[in-house]
Amino acid sequence: MASADALLLRPAPGGDPRATSRFRAAGLGAALFGVTVATAALVANIVAGAWSDQAGRAAQVARIDAWSFGLNTAAFGVLKLSVAIVLLGILRQLWLRVESVKAALPSLAGVGGGPVPIQAGAEDTPWGAATLSSTAPKPMLVHRLARVMWGPSLAMGFMAVMGGLVLAVVQATKVVSDPALAGHLSAWVKGIQFLGEGFLLAGVSFVLGSILSSLRAGGGEVQESAGVVVKTLRMPATAKAFLGLMMLGLMVEVFQFVVYVATTSFSTATAAAYATWLGPVREAGLGLILSGIVLALVTIGNVLGFQFSRITEIVRTGR
Amino acid sequence: MASTRIRADFDVEVSDGALGYNLPQRLGRALWLPMLAMALMAFPAGVVLSAIRAHAIATGGSPKAIAELGQFSIAANFVGFASAFAAISFAIARILGAFRVGGGHVQEAAGRPVQTLKMPLTAKVFLGLMAMGMMTLLGAVALHVAIGASIAGGSTYALGHVAQWGFWLEGARRIGIALYLLGITFGLATIVTVIRFQSVRIVELVHVPPPVVSERQPT
Repeated sequence: MASADALLLRPAPGGDPRATSRFRAAGLGAALFGVTVATAALVANIVAGAWSDQAGRAAQVARIDAWSFGLNTAAFGVLKLSVAIVLLGILRQLWLRVESVKAALPSLAGVGGGPVPIQAGAEDTPWGAATLSSTAPKPMLVHRLARVMWGPSLAMGFMAVMGGLVLAVVQATKVVSDPALAGHLSAWVKGIQFLGEGFLLAGVSFVLGSILSSLRAGGGEVQESAGVVVKTLRMPATAKAFLGLMMLGLMVEVFQFVVYVATTSFSTATAAAYATWLGPVREAGLGLILSGIVLALVTIGNVLGFQFSRITEIVRTGR
Repeated sequence: MASTRIRADFDVEVSDGALGYNLPQRLGRALWLPMLAMALMAFPAGVVLSAIRAHAIATGGSPKAIAELGQFSIAANFVGFASAFAAISFAIARILGAFRVGGGHVQEAAGRPVQTLKMPLTAKVFLGLMAMGMMTLLGAVALHVAIGASIAGGSTYALGHVAQWGFWLEGARRIGIALYLLGITFGLATIVTVIRFQSVRIVELVHVPPPVVSERQPT
C-alpha cells in the first residue's frame, strides 16, 4: 500500500537537493504563530493575576482562567505540529540525500582489492551490532506502523486540542450562568486537550520512527546500489525504550482523559480531589512521550554516526 | 585552516581535515543523558506529591499543607519539563555534531578539501531560545519552591497571595515551554539546512578532482 509517507515525502528521482524546504518554512511560520498565541495567553494570565485580589472581579478572573487555559494548550498544539512539519522536511531531505549519495558514491569509492563475495552475517561496530546482507533490508513492523500512523495521529491530536479550545470558550461563558456545567466543561477541556497533546507528541514520535525507517532503507539502498555488502544496524536498546515510553505515555493520556470524564459524575469535593492528582499525571504522561522522543533523537544520532562511518569506509576501501 | 566565503549558496569553512564537535555539540553529547534521567525522576516525584496533596484535600487536611504541597508538586513537574526539553535540545545538538564530523570524514576520505557549514542563524536562535526557555522554567520553579517554603515557614502573606502568584507563575511556565518548543523547531530547521548542504556537497565531490595524490591511491 502506498502510504502518505511514500507519496508525500520521497521525492521522485532527480529531485533538486539545492531547493529550499517548504516544510521547513511552513514549520517555522507555524511555530512563530504558536508562540504569538502563547504570548496572548501569558498576557491574559498577568491580567487575571492582577485582578485576582480585587473585589468584584472573581467572575472575570474565572472566565479568563477558562479560556486562557484552552488557548494556551492550543498554542502548544500548534507548536508541536510545527515540530512535526519540520521533521517531515528532514524526512524529505534525507531521501534527497540518499539520491545524492547514490549518484556520487560509485565515482568516489576506492578501488580496494576488487570485488569480494558478499556473505550474510553480523558484525560489531562502535554504534552497536550490525547485520550484513547483499540487499537492502525490508522495513520492520514498527517502521511500517510509523509510516502509516503519523498522519492520523497528528490529525486526531490537533482536532482534539482545537475541540478543547472551543469547549474552553463555552466554559468561559457559563462560569456565572451555570457554574456546574462550567465545572464539567473544565474537566472535559483538560481531558480532551491533554489527550490531543498526547496524540500530537505520538505523531511526532511516529515521524521520528519514519525518519529511522528511511535511514535504514536509504542506507541499504545506497550500499546495494554501490555493489558492496549492505551493513545495517540492528534495532538498538534506545529505539526499543523509545517505543515503550511512547506507548506508556499515550496510555497515561488515555487514562487521564477517561478519569477526567468520569469526574463529571462525581460530587464537587471528590472531583476537586481527583483533579489535584490528575494534573501532574497528565503532565507526567507527556513527560514519558517526551523522554521517548529524546531516545529517538539519540538513536537517529547513532545511526547517522554509523552511516557516515560506513560511507567513509566505502570511499576509502571500495568495500 | 582557511575561513573564507567561497561559495554563494552556503556559508562554509574550509579545512584539510574533518573538524571536531563545537562546544554546543560537545555539551549535547555529554548532557542529554543526565537531563533525561532528571526528567524521569522529576515527573514521578510530582505525581507522588500531588497524590499526597489529593489525600490531604479529601481528608480535610490543613490549608497550609495543601498550599505548600501544591507549590512543590508543580515545581517537581516543571523540573521534569525543563529537563525533558533540555534533553531533546541536547539530542538535536548531538545530531548536528554527527553531521558536522561525519560529513567532514567523508570529504577527507575522498581526498577533497573539507567544507563544513558555519553555524547557521537558525542554530544560534535555537541555542538562544533554549537558554531563554530553560531560564524561564527554572525561574518559575525557584519561585514555586520559595513560595512553598514561605508557606511552610508560616507566612500568612504568602498563603494569602498564593492564587495571584499562581496565575503569574502559570503564565511564566507556559511561555517557557513555548520558547523551548520554538527553539526545538529552529534546531530541527538547522538539520534540514545541514542535510541540504551535504546533499549538494557530496555530488560536488565527484566533479572536483583531488588537489593532491590521495593516500588511498596505490603508490
